[in-house]
Parts: sequence; C-alpha cells; structure tokens
Amino acid sequence: MVWSVEQVEAVAPSPAAITGAQPLATPGRWFDVGADDRVIWGSFQGSGAEPYDTAVDHVGVGYLCTCPSRMLPCKHALALLLMWSRDLVPIGVPAVKVEVWIQRRHARAVQEASAWELGDGAGVNAEAAERSVDDEATTEEEPAPLPPSVGERDTARNERVERMFAGLTELDRWLDDRMRTGLADPALARYATWDDLAARLVDAQVGGLANRIRRLAGLVGASATWHDDVLAELGLLHLLSQAGRRLGSLPGPLADAVATTVGWQVRRADVLGGVPDTDRWVVAGRSDQRENRIEVRRHWLRGTASGRWALVLSFAAYQQSLNTSLEVGTAVHADLHRYPGPALRALVGKRHLDESAAIFPGDPVSGPPSGRPPAQSVADAADEIGGMLVAEPWLDRVPTSVTAAVVRRGDAWFVGDDTGALPILPTAATRGVGDRRNPRAANDPLTMLLALSGGGLVDMTLEWTPHGVIPLAVHLDQRSIDIGPRADTSFVGAA
Amino acid sequence: MTVDELWAELVTTSLLGTDRRNPPEAGGLIGDLVADTARADPSTRMLAAVAACTAVRRAGVRPADPIDPLAPPSSDDRAECVPAAVERWHHIITSWPVLEDEWILTLVGRGWRLAAELVPPALHRHRRDSIRRARVLVAAGPLADWLMDHVPDLAQTPSARPLTSIEIDRLGELPELPVSPELASLLTRRGAEVGGVIAVGLEDRTLAEAHRAVLVNVIARCVPEGLPDIAEVLGAVDDRSAGFGLASVLADLALTRYRMLDELAEPPDAES
Repeated sequence: MVWSVEQVEAVAPSPAAITGAQPLATPGRWFDVGADDRVIWGSFQGSGAEPYDTAVDHVGVGYLCTCPSRMLPCKHALALLLMWSRDLVPIGVPAVKVEVWIQRRHARAVQEASAWELGDGAGVNAEAAERSVDDEATTEEEPAPLPPSVGERDTARNERVERMFAGLTELDRWLDDRMRTGLADPALARYATWDDLAARLVDAQVGGLANRIRRLAGLVGASATWHDDVLAELGLLHLLSQAGRRLGSLPGPLADAVATTVGWQVRRADVLGGVPDTDRWVVAGRSDQRENRIEVRRHWLRGTASGRWALVLSFAAYQQSLNTSLEVGTAVHADLHRYPGPALRALVGKRHLDESAAIFPGDPVSGPPSGRPPAQSVADAADEIGGMLVAEPWLDRVPTSVTAAVVRRGDAWFVGDDTGALPILPTAATRGVGDRRNPRAANDPLTMLLALSGGGLVDMTLEWTPHGVIPLAVHLDQRSIDIGPRADTSFVGAA
Repeated sequence: MTVDELWAELVTTSLLGTDRRNPPEAGGLIGDLVADTARADPSTRMLAAVAACTAVRRAGVRPADPIDPLAPPSSDDRAECVPAAVERWHHIITSWPVLEDEWILTLVGRGWRLAAELVPPALHRHRRDSIRRARVLVAAGPLADWLMDHVPDLAQTPSARPLTSIEIDRLGELPELPVSPELASLLTRRGAEVGGVIAVGLEDRTLAEAHRAVLVNVIARCVPEGLPDIAEVLGAVDDRSAGFGLASVLADLALTRYRMLDELAEPPDAES
C-alpha cells in the first residue's frame, strides 16, 4: 500500500533531507520509474554524466542508490517515495538488477541463514546486534559460505562450550574478588577494570554478559544508591554464571533462557523455523535505547487471545534505519516466532490479512485500526511484572499495562492508583537538571504523560526497569499516543 | 531478619568487603536458597546471598503505598483539536514553518484547544519567543500553566524579553510577510489567477528558485478560498519545464494550508 507523505517524512534522516528531496520529486527529472507491491525504482538525472539508479523496498524498508551520498535514505530515495505517495509513479515491472536486489532482501528477511543474533529476552547484546548489522551489509554482495559438515559443527560447538565455561569461571572468580575487596575499592571507578573483563568475556563468547558488565560500569558513582544497584547486578551475574555452568542439569526452557542470556547464539533461521505463536498482536508500546554504538528499538506486543507479551527488537548503527513498520496502538494479525526458552523476544513471521487491523502506519484499511492492552490496577501490574521476573530474574526490562494517574511524593514521580504506586524512572528533565540549551522535557515520557492525563487516571503501557518504570504509551478512547523514549534522529536514519 | 533488612546488611558488607567483614547470616527463605554454600568461604557465601536476595526482591516487586492524586488543572470547555490537525502541526513544523502562526491563530480564533500532546513540544519550541509563546499559552489553556508548575524545563527562558503593550494588542494578528510590489496584487486575486501567474512565470523562467521565498509568502498569505485552485494549476505545470520542481513544492504548500484551515473549521459545538 502507498505510503503517506507523513510516513516518508518519518523515514527521512532530517527535516532538511525532506526539503532537499522536494524539488527532486518531479517526474520530469526521472526516467524508467515504476513501482510494484514490493519496490519502487527509477533513475534520476543529476548534475553528473551518469544518472543515479535508485530503488526503495517499501515493504521491508530499505534503500539502494548509486549516488555518492552517505545519508540513508538519500534525497533521491526520499524523492522517489514522495512521488509515489503523490501517485506519480506508474505500476510496472522492475529491471533485472532491481529484481535481484529485492529478491536478495526478501530471501535474507526470511532466512538470514548467515546472520546471527543473540536472544536474551528483554536484555540485548549490542555487540551481537552490531555484528548482525555488519553481516547484513556483507551478505548483500558476498556469496554465502558453504555450510560446515556435521563433524565440523560438533567440534566447533564443543570448543565454544569450553570457552564459555572458562569465561564463566573467570567471571565468578572476578566477582569473588569484588566481594573480598569491597565496592569501595578505587579500582571500580576505573573503566578499564570493567572493560578488560568485558573484553575477555567477548573472547570467551559470552557476549551477553560482556554487555551487562559494560552497562554496569556506567552505574558506578551514577547515583546516591549506586552501591545498591551495582551489588544487585553483581548478584545477577553470579546467578547467570552459576546457571551457565550447570546448563545440563537445568530444566529445558530455563537452560535455553540462561544460554541465550549469557551469549549462546541462536540463528535467526532457527527461530523462524520454530512453532509460530499466531495471534492478533496489539502493538502496545515502543522504546528506543542507545547501547554503545547501536540504537536498540523495543516494540512490546501483546496477544489479544493469549494475553502473552512479546518483544520485537530492531537495531540501527549510525545512519541506519530502525523498524517503523509497527505502530503503537495498531494491531497485527501475525505469526510470532519466539526465541528459545520462556523468552519474550520474538521475530515477526508471516502477517495474515486482517481487515480489522491496521498492518502498517497510515494503512487505509477500513474497520477499527486500533488495539490496546487491557486495563488493570497497579497492584495487578506489579504481579504481572513479578511473574515475568520469576521466570527470568535477570531481565532488565519487562512490559505491563495499567490504569493509573501520575502522582508525586517529594521529588519522586510515580504512576499510582488506590492499590499502590510504582516509581517512574527519573530523567534529566524531571530531575530539573536538563541541559539548559537543549532540555529534553518536550518529549520526555513523564512530561507527555502529565500533559495527556492532566493528573487523572489514564490507560497506559509501561516498561519496568529495576530503577523505575518508563511510560511508553497512553491509550485514549479513540487512539493511542506513543510517548516512549525515541532515538536521536541525528544518529539513526529513520526513527 | 526481613529480606529488606538482609539486603541492607549485604550492602554494608559489600562496601567494606568480606576480607574485613563477614557476610550476614541469611535466615528464612533466603537462608534456604543458599544453604548449599553455608560452609563455603565468606566471599562465596556473600555472592550467593546477594544473588538470591536480588532475585527474590525483583520477583517480589511490590508497589509503594497509595499516594494522593495531583490537583488537576482548571477545566477548559473548548474542544481539543482533531488528530488530523495534530498531524498537520507536525508536518508544518517540519516542512512549512511559515504556516505555524496562522495554524495557531486559526485554532484559537475558531474556538479549539491545543491538543494535550502538542502542549509540551509547543511550549518547548517557543521558550525564547515571547509572542508565539503567549499564543501557545492561550491555545493550551490552564493545562500549560499546570504543566510548567510540574516540569520547570518547559518554562520560558529567563533571557526572553517581556511583551510590549503593542505586541499584546497584536497577539491575534498574523505577522506580515515580505512580498515584492510586483507580486503584491496576487494576495487578493482569485486562486486560478494566482496559480496561473506563478505557473506561467515558472515556465517562462521569469520566476525561478531565487523567488522561492517570496512565492512561499504569497501562498501563505493569499486568499484562502483560492488555495485548491492554486494547487491544481501549479500541479499541472509541464513536468519538462525547469520550473516544475518549484511548482510542485508550492502546490504542496497550497494544499497544506488548505487542509490546515479545513481541519480547523469551527468545532461542532461552536457551529451549533
């Protein structure tokens, strides 16, 4: 279905890019232009001798252009999209090179046999994500290597298990040293103390734990209660390290969850090959978070029939695009494929035709386009959170929905009702310490929640973290409003 | 010892280190969980207790006691502008900021209230501009003051100058935009004529990219009834002509302004 102009603006890396694309969005400057139900293509005659060949995958959202611009999408791709949105692009049959490109993208989306990712529930390994992004870039041009034989695979697997066990043993020894010398040890204030360990854990192929160690380094001295926060995280690392060394004796689902959390890689193709969890999935909330050099987007989905939550992740390195195909407040009738264990994390498989659901932002499909998670009290929401943490205590983010108001005790903000109150994760804006030149209050989730609720009860989706909840969406009578933390548009290509 | 008391003891011990202080004895539920480490060395017992205590505390997440609700903002009987107008505001801010003044003055003039989700970004956008900020405050009503009380970052920057009495009197007036004398007559002519003059000028190159700013101003201030005709005429400019690109851009401006005014037609209550 054709995008709206607003959708085109949403994928633009900056407002200036749209302004630059507007004059190019005229059929007179293009030739060999066409579109089908997967891709738009055309050649733009710029100032150079050779035209720029441009193509846009409007389903999987991807861009190809021979221009020298490093911006993604470039102004030619945006211009092509703008023309398409204005119904200025005729239906056609793509040229061979466009067909090859789009088929490669399609094949990769379905199989991604060579692209590896980690599945660690709601926690994310940014290094693995980055590698996944890199893999995606290289598989575009390079043929896939021959698959290893069964013997080679077993040998590689055994070697990997040995390295993991060695890494977990070293981690526990390091944790033991921290307990002996104490958290007041000045060595903890040095980033190298953590980074060296993280590097060794990466070598041992327990990247999931390496990432946690790097995040942990950022907690030291970050707040008045940092000793509490660091100690709790050290405890969870110990738990994971002990569990990881006893994988064989753990129940199957728990062993899977531990393995993926510490860093055992799961092939995307294997996940997509699993039994689908088919439902009408409400896109209940979204949050973006920068982890090292990767922007991580979390979409929280809730099954209308099953009541189960699921997490769909997308990643973007500098100037790459995040997933914009899931819009908060809509519902998607689709197969989800979950990662091993009791994982929240899932991949979206086949989408089914559902006339009562908007499948894509701006979808003109008739019928109620919206979906919302059920309302519940704060006490029930706390139970729901606890239930997920019982299964996987190391999760650092879990979703819930609640009907509550914003309330305040001293300088601390909460979402609350007559059954209790959950603290809201403080931000620079709400602590009153925002950067005066660029305060973030305008799009701060708490500020938006205050504005939308006016202090009254409102339905909302929250993301629990150990340090407080983050409001992600407000569900009003007729629509939902996405208020979750959003990626910096100067970093990602589309947000 | 409760779980919270045990945790406090563990934090204290962790600061000093188990070389200098033995970990607390974990009893009850936590004690059962770590019983297999009872004879281990202090640091191992400490780690086991910390892990068990953390898992139990997280899984047993409990809300704090209920807190009194905030006093709400005063009521505002005006209807909130429709979602399409909210989307249009975002489009205007991104692509056609020249229309922003007219958008908010029309909203206020026709009896709408600024949608709640636009109040924070609008206040933030005009922290330094006293005139536009005053319009936002009127459009947002009591919610704006209430919000600023709770989120001081949304308040006006201290360096912003106060409004003069003349400015206060003219808050409801659209600011003038510069239009060259030879194009000034277009401001009052019919849409088809305006579109025709611009289209012919772009095709015969008497109007070009250098005139872009002034042409934008003409379309942003011309008689609104003519906007559909302007969009249609400019949209029909020969796509092989040099002026086609600019004509398309100006057509988009005309259409955006037309839709903006349409979405901000009188609220249902006001019409009745």
